[in-house]
Amino acid sequence: MIKNTKEIKGKDFDVTRSADEVRNLSFKNHICIGCGICESTCPVGAIDLGDVATNARAKVDVYFSGHDKIAQNINEPVDLQKVNVNEDKCVLCGMCSGLCPVDALVLTIDGVPIAEIDEYPSYNVYTIIDDDKCLLCQKCQNACPREAITIKRQLPNRVDLVTGEIEVNEEECINCGVCSELCPAEAIVVDPTTGQESIVIDKDKCVYCLVCKKVCPVNAIKAVCRSCSYGEYDLDPELAKVKGSAIIEDALCVRCGWCEGVCPADAVEVKKPFEGTLVVDQDKCGTCGACVDLCPCNALAFPISEGPGSRMEHVIASEEYCIKCGACANICPNEAITVTRTAIDNTPINSITWNKAFDALKN
Amino acid sequence: MPKHIASGLKYLAAVRLKDEGKSQQYIADQLDIDRSTVSHYFNGRNLKWNSIDVAKTITELSPADFLAMVKAVFEDADMARKIVLICKENNYDAMIKESCIGCGLCVNLCFMKAIKLDSLHAQIDSICCCGCYICKEECPTNSIKILEIEND
Repeated sequence: MIKNTKEIKGKDFDVTRSADEVRNLSFKNHICIGCGICESTCPVGAIDLGDVATNARAKVDVYFSGHDKIAQNINEPVDLQKVNVNEDKCVLCGMCSGLCPVDALVLTIDGVPIAEIDEYPSYNVYTIIDDDKCLLCQKCQNACPREAITIKRQLPNRVDLVTGEIEVNEEECINCGVCSELCPAEAIVVDPTTGQESIVIDKDKCVYCLVCKKVCPVNAIKAVCRSCSYGEYDLDPELAKVKGSAIIEDALCVRCGWCEGVCPADAVEVKKPFEGTLVVDQDKCGTCGACVDLCPCNALAFPISEGPGSRMEHVIASEEYCIKCGACANICPNEAITVTRTAIDNTPINSITWNKAFDALKN
Repeated sequence: MPKHIASGLKYLAAVRLKDEGKSQQYIADQLDIDRSTVSHYFNGRNLKWNSIDVAKTITELSPADFLAMVKAVFEDADMARKIVLICKENNYDAMIKESCIGCGLCVNLCFMKAIKLDSLHAQIDSICCCGCYICKEECPTNSIKILEIEND
């Protein structure tokens, strides 16, 4: 019959079935969030979730529990295999690919990903940064738990933001270097070497703050700032703008919403695949930190103690940034976390089996 | 020798088509042989050796073995499909259950190209089905049902 082939590249792999059509299931370990949806969905039991519990352990070095600052066992960075597909069992149906919330598993048919084939479902998700509103502040880039955002920005030239005049009378200058040392813009270079003394002011750097003029012991510097007076009109506001754009690496983005949450300009819009709830049973929680390690959204954290005697919750969860992927609930050894999905936003499909698979995600 | 068996199978196919009332020209076109050869077949100028007997034996094998033999005898897959369709002993009524996941394995396996995927659900064209049951045996969700319909 037709035998599948498997090609392993590090922790990534491809399972391929070649016939009149070529079906290829590719897995990317660095995109996988270890949620386990593929494992529970696979209709032929070909998928096993790897050991995801300790996967992210090395990325945080110190945890805070409710009582004490505990340095947990800090291991060497580990990057374990999160998902395994048995190529002898896999039938390349693509259900894991269709239901994977992050495109870590992607089925292609003759090179076309099923997300681009109308018959197959995909989640209605997006992350959009409105370039017109974006202030290029990089807050989203810093907050993104997946390092999926890059804000590329080009700063204006300093010379286009200020206006003024500055001259130094080199005959009066004693090359003491005081101006150079104080200049906040590092615009003045003084060579005090006997016999080859010099002073050079870089007008591209000078902001006309007049510190040099005020400090010069021999009044050798003449400078005036015109920015505050009529000089404003000499400046072109267009040239003062920060230019750039936001780049989202869609494959890495998990639609957690941190970027939207921290954006001061309301420039970001994130649409998540699932609606639902995340509940932590504080009595059952053993503060092992597996969930905190694994959460792809940085939605779980140990609270920071407010001081001696204060009672804290064991683990705090931020519903706002949770995508209800269920990775934490899967991994929790004490069954302290319950993730419930109440609504799934996916493109419509006709297949009864596939619809059942989506319904099964609502528990 | 395979060529003789192929000729024997074509002879049987020609006779079947003739019984269906097809013209000699049509039969010649379908089987990719000269019209005069068709004429020879029907005038009793038969093939060498016991090709027809061997061909008959082949058609009486189980559908899966019949298909395997025809595939082995004919280099041209399209001709093999044609011969199987014309010479198969039975007709089949095939259906796919709701449990189909649309993996397309049956589509890839079906030599007769009788199966297509539509909206992540396999559809079998019963007319093209040769009853080999390969799809049914390999289906990971046991979603294929094939009923044999006696020809006579």
